Amino acid sequence: MRIPRILALLVGLLIPAMALAHGPSRQKATLSTDVAAAPAEVWSVIGNFQDMSWHPAIFSTTGQGGNEIDATRQLTLGEAGGPTIDEILYKYSAEKMSYSYRIEQVDVAVLPVTNYSGHITVTPLDSGGSHIEWKGAFYRGDPLNDPPPELNDEAAMAAVTAVYQAGLDALTERFGAAQ
Amino acid sequence: MRLSSLSALLCCLAAGSAAAGDLAFVTCQNGDALSVLDLGAGTELRRIPLPGKPAGVAVSPDGSVYTVSADSKAVRHLDATGALLAETVLDGGPIGAALDPENGHLFVSDWYNARIWVLDAETLAPVAELATGAEPAGLAIQDGLLASADRDGDMVSVFDLASLSLLHRIPVGERPFGLRFAPDGRLFVGNVGTNDVSVLDAREGVTLATLPVGERPYGVGFARGRGFVTNQYGDSVSVFDLATLEPLATIDVGEYPEGIDVSGDTIVVANWFENTVTLIDAATLEVTGTIATADGPRAFGRFIAEDPAP
Repeated sequence: MRIPRILALLVGLLIPAMALAHGPSRQKATLSTDVAAAPAEVWSVIGNFQDMSWHPAIFSTTGQGGNEIDATRQLTLGEAGGPTIDEILYKYSAEKMSYSYRIEQVDVAVLPVTNYSGHITVTPLDSGGSHIEWKGAFYRGDPLNDPPPELNDEAAMAAVTAVYQAGLDALTERFGAAQ
Repeated sequence: MRLSSLSALLCCLAAGSAAAGDLAFVTCQNGDALSVLDLGAGTELRRIPLPGKPAGVAVSPDGSVYTVSADSKAVRHLDATGALLAETVLDGGPIGAALDPENGHLFVSDWYNARIWVLDAETLAPVAELATGAEPAGLAIQDGLLASADRDGDMVSVFDLASLSLLHRIPVGERPFGLRFAPDGRLFVGNVGTNDVSVLDAREGVTLATLPVGERPYGVGFARGRGFVTNQYGDSVSVFDLATLEPLATIDVGEYPEGIDVSGDTIVVANWFENTVTLIDAATLEVTGTIATADGPRAFGRFIAEDPAP
């Protein structure tokens, strides 16, 4: 059983489920956290497509195009020379504090998904804090029939969930949990 | 007209000009359910458990509905209350469906094996198989023709409904997925990879035009001389004039809009991520309402049944 690299960089929590023989269905993941800091402060940290240093699995971000549509970034995971994920920005609104991106290139051994798109949104809480939501839509790593367990639906969902949770946990730590 | 005048009034407030009595059968893939929506009332009438990750759907003129579950490979025929009329389990990767009531055939595309099953519409017994390009997905039927969007083949296959013979393979944009015939007989194909729509004369096997639309066009519908295209990554619907093919508007809808169909003058769009359908008035191009569904509405095919007894 090969463990996706991004999970090895986080925590070893992946318990592979038995593979079922079936065609591909798009999966969706929605995770969120409520933090004490104001939306503008949170957005100033996570609203720059060219800087994902707020996520503990990201070693570096390099890219082009700033926060313009079709801007690109390459995330390097873990350490210099680590595995990479190439992403492209396809929606961005500073006003709505939201951006949407998709993965252009990733080795499924690193993150076992295909056709992945993600969305990060910050909305205000009545308390003055912020609700941070991270959503993803994706297919499993192997879109063919009868995928191996490390590339099936459950593996894809586990990997994306782990990535989101690690990022949101880091933000909760950074900004404090909303009271 | 069976509805009370109050219901009829509410209908028009809630759902614009959706035809009273029309039902939407929305396959909800993540939720393993079929949401049956009363479009006149603007409500979810019932939610029918439908295991196996249903995506494909095809309504029948008699008010019943066929569904295709991608994971369990089950094809089911249900009446409007959810009672099972027939069921079969296929192999491969069944995904899209289209019904030919005239010849009594249900067509189901096989994503993995470049073919379309021809099933007896009553028993669901296999009758024949048609060879397509790679990864056939959406199916459409009109005017004696069957068309399939062959996603990895970057083309559309066209068959004669009566003889089941292949007429044409027409190159289109990249990764065509959803397609539909317009009322005037032209075939419109959403090309997910090139963010455009191919307009085809399917009988002659030629491309008439290519229209730019939004990000990841998925499904196509028609009403009031206009075409409507769901842009899956755009969270929007592109509208164009059918006569001139000129763009008219881009309408914001829910997240990841996919399936699209028409009820009267109302366009109905399934929002996969948001678990809703959006209702659009095809005349004013205003959003007139939303209706909640089960998790992950795909509604991949013709999913609105006209009131069988208006």
